[in-house]
This record gives sequence, structure tokens and C-alpha cells, in this order.
Amino acid sequence: MTPAAKIASSGEALIQFAEGLARIASSGGGAKALATHLASAFDAAVLIEDGDWRHVTLAGAGSRPVPPSCRESIANAAPDTDGVVRLSSPGEACDGIAVRIRGGEASLGWLSVFPNADATEPANGALRLAAATIAVELSRDAGGGKSRRKSFWDRLLSRTYDDPIEAKDDASSRGIALATGYVAVAIEAEGLDESSAATKLADLRRIALETLRSGSGEIVVLERGGGFVFLCPAPLEIDAQNVRTAATLIPRAATKAHFGAKVVGGVGRAAEAISAYRTVDEARESMFVTRRLFGGSRVMPYDDLGIYPLLLRGGASAEELRAFGKRILAPLRAYDEKHQTELVRTLGLYFQVGQNVKTAAAELSVHRHTVFYRLRQIAEISGHDLDSAHDQLTLRTAMAIDALNSH
Amino acid sequence: MTKRDILRVAKEREVRLIRLSFVDILGISKNVTIPFSELERALEGKVTFDGGSIDGFVRGEEADMMLLPDLATFSVYPWTIGSGAVEARLICDIATPDGEAFEGCPRTTLRRAIEDARDVLAGARAGLEVEFYLFELTADGLPTTTTSDVGSYFDIDESDRGEAARIEIATTLEAMGLSVASAHHEHGAGQHEIDLNDAAILNTADGLITTRTVAKHVAARHRLHATFMPKPLETLAGSGVHVYFTLAPATDAPADGAGELAEETLFAIGGLLEHAPAFTAVCNPTVNSYKRLVAAWDAPIYTVWSYRSANSLVRVPSPAGQRIEVRSADPSCNPYLALAVLVASIAHGMRSHILPGDPLMGSTYELNDRERETRRIRMLPKSLRQALGELDKDPIVRGALGDHVYHAFRDAKLAEYERYRRAVHPWEREAYLRVY
Repeated sequence: MTPAAKIASSGEALIQFAEGLARIASSGGGAKALATHLASAFDAAVLIEDGDWRHVTLAGAGSRPVPPSCRESIANAAPDTDGVVRLSSPGEACDGIAVRIRGGEASLGWLSVFPNADATEPANGALRLAAATIAVELSRDAGGGKSRRKSFWDRLLSRTYDDPIEAKDDASSRGIALATGYVAVAIEAEGLDESSAATKLADLRRIALETLRSGSGEIVVLERGGGFVFLCPAPLEIDAQNVRTAATLIPRAATKAHFGAKVVGGVGRAAEAISAYRTVDEARESMFVTRRLFGGSRVMPYDDLGIYPLLLRGGASAEELRAFGKRILAPLRAYDEKHQTELVRTLGLYFQVGQNVKTAAAELSVHRHTVFYRLRQIAEISGHDLDSAHDQLTLRTAMAIDALNSH
Repeated sequence: MTKRDILRVAKEREVRLIRLSFVDILGISKNVTIPFSELERALEGKVTFDGGSIDGFVRGEEADMMLLPDLATFSVYPWTIGSGAVEARLICDIATPDGEAFEGCPRTTLRRAIEDARDVLAGARAGLEVEFYLFELTADGLPTTTTSDVGSYFDIDESDRGEAARIEIATTLEAMGLSVASAHHEHGAGQHEIDLNDAAILNTADGLITTRTVAKHVAARHRLHATFMPKPLETLAGSGVHVYFTLAPATDAPADGAGELAEETLFAIGGLLEHAPAFTAVCNPTVNSYKRLVAAWDAPIYTVWSYRSANSLVRVPSPAGQRIEVRSADPSCNPYLALAVLVASIAHGMRSHILPGDPLMGSTYELNDRERETRRIRMLPKSLRQALGELDKDPIVRGALGDHVYHAFRDAKLAEYERYRRAVHPWEREAYLRVY
């Protein structure tokens, strides 16, 4: 039995189908994600057009010829009692059915479905259910510039777009100038009194935006959980550096503004626009790690948290671990290569002998002052404090990964 | 010091002549000398001079200018004590005949810049490291570019006249009320450095003028010539002026985990890097200045900051705190104008929350094109002409100078560059005369 037939014949299958639609809609997947879901469920090509016959999205077409618009076919057909229209275009293999997408009394567009050769035609009920869900998405888009913009970011972060150009074009059609790269900053306030939480969060949003204000474009503010994620444009490395620095200044700005509550946050690494979800995930992970392991009122960048984000995820692939080891040791390796020094070897040996400088010096056949000097260089170049337990763990893990992967 | 104090001290120390000192737009010291009998009138601000004959002051209807002494700058020239004609000096601001501050006065320009920045820079101070060469004189007393000194960084050679001269320069400055932090031999043979401790920003500018004056006097007594030319010899290190700003300490305790630098310090650095191409014309105002700003002898060439790199434009010396070192200026600058544009750049950075990116590690000379592009690092101008072009484009730096000073400075410098451009230099004859 084909999926469409199953949906048509089983109440449970219809419920599962409806739940699938709801899940996509609630995660901000947008019309494209819904169309993709329908194309798979109905084994069909799915075309969505808006109330002005503008193309919204097409999914599941493959090499099948699908008309650019069903405007003419729909105009020439008479709707049946359920508002479902049978489509046929003489001479073209595009027989299908269409259903109006309604938002209350208003017509928001049309959903057209072209089942593949052996597929069952979807039932009217399933089609109307799908159209109702799409109506929510189109209403959101039609609800003004702000809503359309929000919807774009929701889609971007739910990985709707496969192609950067598609994302850029969609952004552009919604009046958004998409930057080439972004850095996310996640912020939450701790211990807010329930009665004043709304006011306090508005204050936090303002303080953070003032601190993060950037010359490189508009900062996108997303409400997440009990706090915010700020998606800051960072087209160049220096912009990412400045976002990181500015983010770490937010708790201080909050103190100055007499905010009166702890501010905890994290900063993701720079990511291309289409992968913005990655920097958002990293920012939120960093915030979690910061809260759990470091305490106080502070915002910490992902890059400064060493191995902890990987531990938070409950593990990592071998590739991720190798990348982590490489990233942590890269500055030291580059320095060694350029200056013919032995910083990585010195660090490894220093850990190996239980951080005993005298023994390390003997093993390296150098004076212990040389070891002290090298350790200072290691701290400065790697950006890790050798007296910090957190940083030691990061460096030790990186050294271990490096040793396990060396040939 | 009050007027009465100055009259009493001058009388006690048998001062016969008082130099009423000021600088022109180019930072060249000028003075009107008066006898002791005129001192009281001078202290009332009643001494005038013909401003029409001074570079940058040329405005026919304002040719008569008044000298308003800054009483705090009264100082007896130590080398004249016991000479029978003891001299003292007072540094003056310039006013129009109706008593208004003259907008073409460099010292007034700095006063205004400091006042304009009071909202963010109240309590800020500045110190200096000044490099210069001591060269031999010919039998006729003309300066050369030769030196018998073969020393380098921090060397001691008590047989060297340069060493003795440097020590006397430092002690003379101390005797005149300046706070000398240290004095030592610099990198080049014959090159020396005097470091002045933090002081109020206006006093620090006065300090460079005094240092130049004292060094020339003392060197001459040792049959040497002190030159503050930025690059007197192609093969030796150039002479710079490193300006240290100490920002007022932050009043709010930093939050946990915040960076070790106060945000005000970061913003100040951001402002300096942002405006560096434009303030270069003012801080490096001669065609010779640009022979120093090359990738050698740790001269800065890029808009970069760091903690340790010796050739970055801005450095935060350890221990990291509120001190910032600006390393590009050279001692041919007009210190009043140089400090005015630096103060305005810092203030703009602090007001606009300009962040400077991460500090650079290692030598800036090794930056490749990609690194410079991704970090938006710009190169400092390579010539006075290019620097003036950058100055034209920057309203903040131009605004710090004010219209009068900006136009007078620009006109003078364009003319200087044009004279240089037309001149046929010895290198050209050496390179081309026989070949073509």
C-alpha cells in the first residue's frame, strides 16, 4: 500500500501524518519543509503558490514536468464541494489535484499535488489538512515585514535551505540583506523574579543589543527559552573577534546598568549564513557549559571552552575529536614550524612527567628556566592558562588525541 | 604658581630675560624675549607680536597677536644660571587683540580637544618616549651625520660625549620641573632616548617642546648636534615618539570572566586604529617621516595592536591595564596637534564603542594579504602626500584640528611635499646619471 493510500484508509496513519505536519510547522520549517514532507508522504510533486500566483515552493518534482503555475488549470476547472480541484493540461503529463489554502475567509494561495505514475491520489481530507497547515505558514509570511523576516530566520535555523543562493534570494525577497557570516550570542538572566521577568528580559535585550551593536549589519534577535540568541553579522574574521569581545562585555554592561541579576551566556564560532544554525547551537552549548562549570555572571566563547562542549554532547565522532585536537594545538604547531622550536614536545613532556619542571628540563636536556620560558610561550600562544584546571584538561585532551592519531 | 610667585622667583634668581615661548603650526618653537622689567606686563597678557610673519598664522587682519603665558610653565633655563644673564621661559597661548583664543594656536587646539573629550577622557594623562640622534659638529660648528659613538641599546660608554650629553639633558629637564622616567642609549649609533613620566596631556606636549629645546642647547655645549629628524640615516633606526596614554581607572568592578582589559581601553584602541591613517599626517608631518615608517627597526606600518609585538601601531604594555602606547608618531611632529588628533581618535573610539579586533601576536611585518583583509588591517600612508589625502577624508581628525589649523597645516604640508617632489635627490643622480 502506498503512503497516500495508507493515510486515506487508516485513521492512525492520518493522525501520524497530521502530527508530522504540526512538528514541521512548530519548528518553523516553513512552506518548503511542508512541501517536501507532502511530496514524500504522497509520492508526488507538490507546488505551492500564494494568493497572487507567486511561486512559493516546489518539491518532489525530480525530472517530472510540472507547470510553472497552475493558475490557468485552476481557472478552467470547477471546484468540487470540498474545494478540491482536478487539474489536467492537455498534452502534458501533469494531471493532479489542487486545494485552496485558506486563512479564515481569505484565500492565501493554492496547494497543487501531482502524484507519480504508480502513486495513489491523496484523499481530500489529507489535502485539506495539509493546506490548513500551509495556511499557517503563509499567514505568518503575509503578516507584515517583521513576521516575514522572522519566518526567514526560523527557516534558516531549521536548515530548510540547501543552497546558499536560495537562502540569499529568499532573504532578499523579504528585505533582508544576508551577511556572508554570522556569530551567535546566547544570553539568559538567572534568578529573575517572576513578576518582573518580562520587564527585566526587555532590559537585558536592550543592554545586550547596545553592547553588541555592530557596524556590519543588522543584528537578528531570536527569543529562545528564557533568554535570547543574537545573530550578529560577521563577514570578516575581525567582526567575529569583535562580537566575541563585545559579548563578554555584556555582564559588565548589565552591572553598570544596575540590571540586578546574573547574566550567563555563550558565543558560537563564526559560520556561513546557511550554517547559522551551527553557531546558534554552539552559543547555546557554551551558555550551558558556562552556567554549569564556571558560574558567576559571564559570557564565554565556544573556542574558550575547550573539550567541554564535546562532552556536553555526550561524545563526539573520531573526526570531531581529531578536529578538536588539531584546532587546540594549531597555534603551537605553527609557531614550532616557523621558529624551529619545540613547544608541543615540551608541553607533552611537561604533562607526561606530572608537571614537574625539573624533570621535564632533565628530559629535554635544557635548564629549568628554559622550561619556564617555554611554558609561558605555550600559554601565550595557545591562549590557555597552564595553571587553570579547565585549560589543562583541554590541552591534555588535545595532546592525547594527537598522540592517538599520530602515525 | 601665581603671578606674584613668578615675580618673586625671577627676582630672587636674578632673571634678566624671559622668553615668551609658543609654537607655529609646524611645531617650531618661537619666542619673544622680554627684559625682567616687562615681566609683570607679560604676566597680564599684554605683550603682543606680529602673527602675520609666523607660519600658519597668516591672516592679515589678525596680524597683531597677544601672548597669554601659562603660569605653570615658568622655568629658569639651568644652563644660564651663573652666566650673568639668567633666562627663564613661559609657554604661551596665543590670543587675538580682543583677548579671544586664537583658533590657529596649536596649544589652544590641544586645549580644545582635551575639553571636547572630557566626557570620556576626564583624568587621562600622557607620557612620552622621545628618540633623537646626537651627531658631531664640523670645526665650523655645522651639524654632520657622523658620530664617534658605536653603542646600541642601553650601552654604557662613559668616554662618549653623547652619553655625557644625554645625562645632562635628563638632569636639565628634571631641573626645569619635568619628570624624567629614564634615559638610555637607543638602537642606532649616536641615538638616544629620554622618557617622560605621565603628566596632564597639555603638559606632556609642552614636555616635548622643552625636551627638543634642552637637547639642542645641551648638545651644543658638548659640541654635538641633537637632531629630532625622524630618519637622518638610511642605514640606522629612525627616531620615533611613543605616546603613552593612561586612561582613568574604570569605576565599576568588572564582571566575572570579562577580558583583562577594561572595555574603555579596548574602545580607545579601536578609535586609534580607526583613525590612524588620517592622524599620520599630523603625527608624521615631514617627507622624511615616511622613510622611518617602513618594515624595519620595529617601525609600525599597519593598523594593528598587540601586547608584545614591538612593531605594532598600538601596544598595551604589561602589566595590562589602562595604559596604551601609540608608536607611530615621530619627534618632528607638532606635539600639540599630534596629541589633539590622538585624543580625538581615542574619544571617538570610546563614544562609538569601536572594538579593535583581537591583539596580534608576532611581528606585523609577516602579515600576508589575506590576514590583513580578514582583519581589516590597513597600511599606514607611505608618503606625506598620501597621508594628507587620508587626513582630508576623516572628519573626526580634521575636526580635532579645527578649520583654521587644518587648512593652514594642509597648505604648508602640500607646499613642502611639492618642493620635495621637484627636488632632484642624490639617490637619483647616483642611480641614473651614468645609466641614462
